[in-house]
Order: sequence, then structure tokens, then C-alpha cells
Amino acid sequence: MSALAPLALAVPLVAAALTSILGAFVPRVVLTLLNLAASIFATVACALLARDAALHGTVVHWFGGWHPAHGVSLGIAFAVDSVSAALAAFTAFLTTAAFVFAWTYYDKDDGAFTALMQVFSGALIGFFLTGDLFNLFVFFELMSVSAYALTGFRSEDTSAVQGALSFAIVNSTGAFLVLTGVAMIYARTGALLMAQIAHAVAGQSDPLVVVAFALIVAGFLVKASAAPFHFWLSEAHAVAPTPLCVLFSGIMVQAGLYAVARTYWSIFSAGLAPHAAGVRDVLLAFGLFTAIVGAVMCFAQRHLKRLLAFSTIAHSGLMLCAIALLDPIALGGFFLYVIGHGLVKGGLFFASGIVLNRYSTVDVEALRGKLRELPWLAVAFALGALALAGLPPFGTFTGAALIEDGLSRAHLDAVGIVLLLAVALTGGSVLNALGRMTFGWGPDPDPQAVTPGEEQPETDPARGVRLVVMAVPALALTALAFAAGFVPIESTAAAAAQRFTDRALQEAVMLSGAAPLALPAGPHISLSSSIVHGVAGALLAIVFAALGLFAHRIRPLWPALKRIYTVAMRVPHAWHSGIVTDYVAWLTVGGAAFGAAMLALVR
Amino acid sequence: MSWLPYVVPAWIFVVGLYGMATSRHLVHLILCLSVTQSATYVLILMIGYRAGATAPVFSDVLSTVRATDPVVQAVTLTDIVVGATVTALLLAFALRIYKTYGTTDPQELRTMQG
Repeated sequence: MSALAPLALAVPLVAAALTSILGAFVPRVVLTLLNLAASIFATVACALLARDAALHGTVVHWFGGWHPAHGVSLGIAFAVDSVSAALAAFTAFLTTAAFVFAWTYYDKDDGAFTALMQVFSGALIGFFLTGDLFNLFVFFELMSVSAYALTGFRSEDTSAVQGALSFAIVNSTGAFLVLTGVAMIYARTGALLMAQIAHAVAGQSDPLVVVAFALIVAGFLVKASAAPFHFWLSEAHAVAPTPLCVLFSGIMVQAGLYAVARTYWSIFSAGLAPHAAGVRDVLLAFGLFTAIVGAVMCFAQRHLKRLLAFSTIAHSGLMLCAIALLDPIALGGFFLYVIGHGLVKGGLFFASGIVLNRYSTVDVEALRGKLRELPWLAVAFALGALALAGLPPFGTFTGAALIEDGLSRAHLDAVGIVLLLAVALTGGSVLNALGRMTFGWGPDPDPQAVTPGEEQPETDPARGVRLVVMAVPALALTALAFAAGFVPIESTAAAAAQRFTDRALQEAVMLSGAAPLALPAGPHISLSSSIVHGVAGALLAIVFAALGLFAHRIRPLWPALKRIYTVAMRVPHAWHSGIVTDYVAWLTVGGAAFGAAMLALVR
Repeated sequence: MSWLPYVVPAWIFVVGLYGMATSRHLVHLILCLSVTQSATYVLILMIGYRAGATAPVFSDVLSTVRATDPVVQAVTLTDIVVGATVTALLLAFALRIYKTYGTTDPQELRTMQG
């Protein structure tokens, strides 16, 4: 079974190589079928690995047969547990959906775009499966570089190139932070295998270990778009081709968060155990700040893809809070939330891709009343919006319920309420946009408002079969997100997360050759008490949307309300200046604040 | 154990960040990113350095000879490959932006405000 682990990323990478070689010679349909086959293979392989890891314990693959001897490892290993394999399978699944959507999307593509998507997907799979810290960095870079190239792919569209530039500068700097941290921890331990490093730093929490941890986590938080490292995300999403946005918002950002959890639990948890409360507080503060900034900015957007991008930032803040709790059940909630959110957000981005294809714009004001022609699409948007707000039984609800459980056990109910408001605001933002696009509700657009960069049409408007091919993934993902809520997976997820945090067992399996253990039965978790919470989120979303759409009809209050809103939003708007050098400055400030807070709290 | 392996790369890293944050030219910005990255080369190579040791190539010397750490050299090599890719891609982007907007000042490129 362990041979499947390298194949799960080798097959996509080989498909990418074949696609770029054959692209100019073979018909487009052959390329699409080849890549679909490769992605489906990766999905199935990773799903089988997840099942195997759940039934028999961590699947370990030593490359080149370099097994550890006497508890010392020189080799590079894939350490596949059920969580990492499930996330890898989800990556490959979203890639499959993106290929279906893109089937008739890029008629002129000679294979380069498809090949880059496949490299991106393969790198992410490797990122999830690897058990080696430097290997993690290499896959991180491979994934990032292909993402930059994909974002700027339509080089005739200069706003795409500009977005790609910001994306690349900020994320590369983040990657250097990770690498610096990796180097420092190697200096201390002489090891790069996660289990080996963990063994060496157990019981050590001197400044060097703390600084290395802070650097690695700060670097991954750039990818996770935690505020104030989040500025690149909205730009990259606004300009990136739609199928790519699905992967960016659905799994790439979450991969950064996964890496934070992986770094803490697989490497530093023993060393930093005495300072767990400090780590928790710092991460929680960043998560909350991210959720608030993302949600507030989300509501202010009129560019549909940017709106969804800011909603991703808000949800990333929620997920960071889930990790920050350092609690296995909340961590299980995080893993479920990644999948639930990825499905919902994927459906929403595909739906906006259809809008863009049909009307050549995603500016909500320019689309007023247009969506009446496509009622099924409006329904898909509405369902997605309510799912973002956490309405049961969508997949997002299950994840949020486990996170909420962790928050209330940590006596952080106030944090839970802020997070609920934040996700409700993102759902409300989508409903607000939908009310304008479908019924033409809402005040007339402010002529002085900032107009977002014009979007270029990605292809000719699709009709007939081509429209169906685009509609299928959009509706399928939303339907799956709905169905996901009926799968009783919460206690398995909690058990898998418990295993994910079991560093001692990982060490024994990786270094001493101990037999891996099957997943135990998970704790019993009751979701019924969270239903109120989820319904409240959806109702709040409707209230927020109604405020956005109808507040102008309250004549006596409207001028004052509008004035307060405009003044209050001036500051966050000024932060999002659109200038890449400012983003580097923010990254420096945020990184310094993060490092200083870590050092202060972890002393 | 000396502090130099940490102080020198930290200095280079911060200089690069300062350059990026204040840059008025895209090529300058991209090269400052390379400067930031070279901080990581310096750090990694210094970590593996051993006084009086030879290169870790054992084809013509005995395997008992004191050698520097080969892992860090492999890591640096990987890092350089990544750096070259990113720099090339970014320079291509910069060229594209210049051809369209006629400017290379990142602070004048603000079409995506708000």
C-alpha cells in the first residue's frame, strides 16, 4: 500500500510533463481526458491511503529504501495519516472538478495551463503527504511557483500580471521565512525528518527553538492569508482564472493552515508544551483579527471574485482560531471545515465563473437584475451564501460545530460569537450581492466609489452543452457540500485529529519501526446543541444582507448611517492600497509583531 | 558557537525587506527579493561550515577526512534553483507591466485599490 503514496503525486507530475510535451500536437480533448484520468487516479489513490491509514495506522514510505537505523534517519519519508491523505484526496478532487469546468473554457490553451494546474495539484498532494520538513518546503515552493505562473497566465491581461507580481513577491518572502526557520532548527538538531526533529527538541524551549517555530509559522501564515499577511490573496483571486480560484480558496490557503498545525503537532509540541497557552493566545489573536478584517472587507466589495476572496480570508481566520485552540476535537473541526468550506467556496467560484463567462463582468453593480435570466444560478449562490454562514446541514456546519465545542470547553464563548458574526457577514455579503444581481435591489451605486479593475472576459459566452459542462461542477460541489452534512463523520474526524496530535506515536512509528495503530473509536459528539448556532448564523447573514440592500429606504437614518459607514471603512480601505511595496511593509510589521509576541509569551 | 551565522543573514534579510518596502522600480524590487533570499543561502551554508574541513566529496579523499555538512549544500542548491525560477518569472511579469503601463514604479501601479 505504501507504494501508492509516491504514485499519488508522480502520476499528476508525469501527466503534466506529457501535457506540456504533447500539447502542441494532440487534440485538446485528449489532453483533457489524460489530465482528468490523472486527477481521478490521484483522488482514488489518496482516498485509499486515507482508508488504509484509518484501518491500519500511518502509512510510511521511505524513498530509496533509506530506512532509519538505530533510531536515526538519513532518508526522506512520506508519513501518510488519515488526515493528510484525506486532504490530498480533496486536492485531487477539486482539481478534477476544475478540469471539468475548464473543459471548454480555454480553447486556445496549448497545454501549458493544464500542465501547470497539474503540477500545482501534484505539489499540494506531496505537501500534505510528506513527513520531512525540508521536503515540505520544496513542495511548498513548487506549489507556489506554479500558482504565480498560473495567476499571471493570461499575460495579455496586465491586471492579471500585476496581481501575480504581488502574489509572488509576498509569498516568496513568506517562503524565505519558512526556510530560515527550517535552517535554524536544522542547526540545532541536525535533522530534517519531522519525527527526528521532534525527538531532538523534546523538552527544549530555548529562544532558538522558539524563533525557528515563529519563523516557520509566520511563513506559513502568509500562505494562509492571516492578516496582515493577507493582501496578496484578494488581488490574486480577482485576476486568476476561475478554475484556479477554486483551488486557491478551496485548498491552497488551507494548506498553509495545515502546515501550521503540522509544524506544531509533529515537530514542536513537545518542546513548546510548557508554553502552549502562549502559543494559543498569539495564534488566536491573529485568527480573530483575520476573521474580522476579512469579513468587514468582504461586505464592502462589489467585485464578485474579490468578495469571495475576502470571505476566504475571514474563514481562514476562523480556521486559524480552530488550530490555535491546540485541542484535538477543534482540530478535527478544522479538517472538516476545510472540506466543507472548500466545497461551498468552490461552488460559489464556479458560479461566478459562469457569470463572468456570460456577462463578461463580475462587477455586481453592472450585473443588476441580470441573474433573473438564470434562476438556477441564483439559487446556487443563495445556498452557497447560507452555507458560508454555517447553516446546517451543510459541511461547514459540522466543522464549525466541532470548533465551537472546542471554544466553549476553553471558555472562549466570546470568541465564538465574534467568529459567528464574521462568517455570517461573509454569507450576508454574498446575499447582498445576490439581491442586487437578481432583483436589482439596493441603493444606486456611489459614483465616487472605488471601481475595481476591469475584468477581461475569459472566453466567448458558453451556450448549450458548454454551459452544462460549466454548470455541472458548480452545482455538484454545492450539492456535495449539502450532502456532506449528512455523513456522520465528526467522531472519526476527532479521532483522526487526536492521532494527528500524537507525536510520541509518530516518533515510535517513524524512528523505531513500531507498528502503526488503527484509529480508535472517536469520542461521541453531539451536534444538536450547535444547530441553534448554525441557524443563527444564517439568520444573521440575511439580516446583514437586508441592511446592505434596504437600509437606504430608512430615509431619516440613511445619510447618517452612510456617513458613519464611509468614515469607518476609510481605514481598512487605506490598508488595502494595492501597492506591493506596502504589502511587504505590512509583512515586515506583522512578522515582527508575531515573532515578538511569541518570544514575549513563550518566555 | 558564534553568533555571526545568525547576525549576518538577519542583517541581509532586513536590508532586502527594507529595499522591497521602499522600492520605486520593479527590477530593483525583484532584485531586493533575491537579496532577501540570499540571506537564507548564507545562513544555511554557515550552519554546515566546519573549521578546517574539506568539501564533502569523497571520491579522491578518505572517508574519514573531516568534511563540511553535505546536507546544507544540497539544501542551498535547491534554494538557488527556486530563486532562479522565481526571479525569472517575476522579471517576465515586470517586462509585461512595463510594456503596457509604460512605468516600472510599483507605487504607481494601483489599479486594484480597496
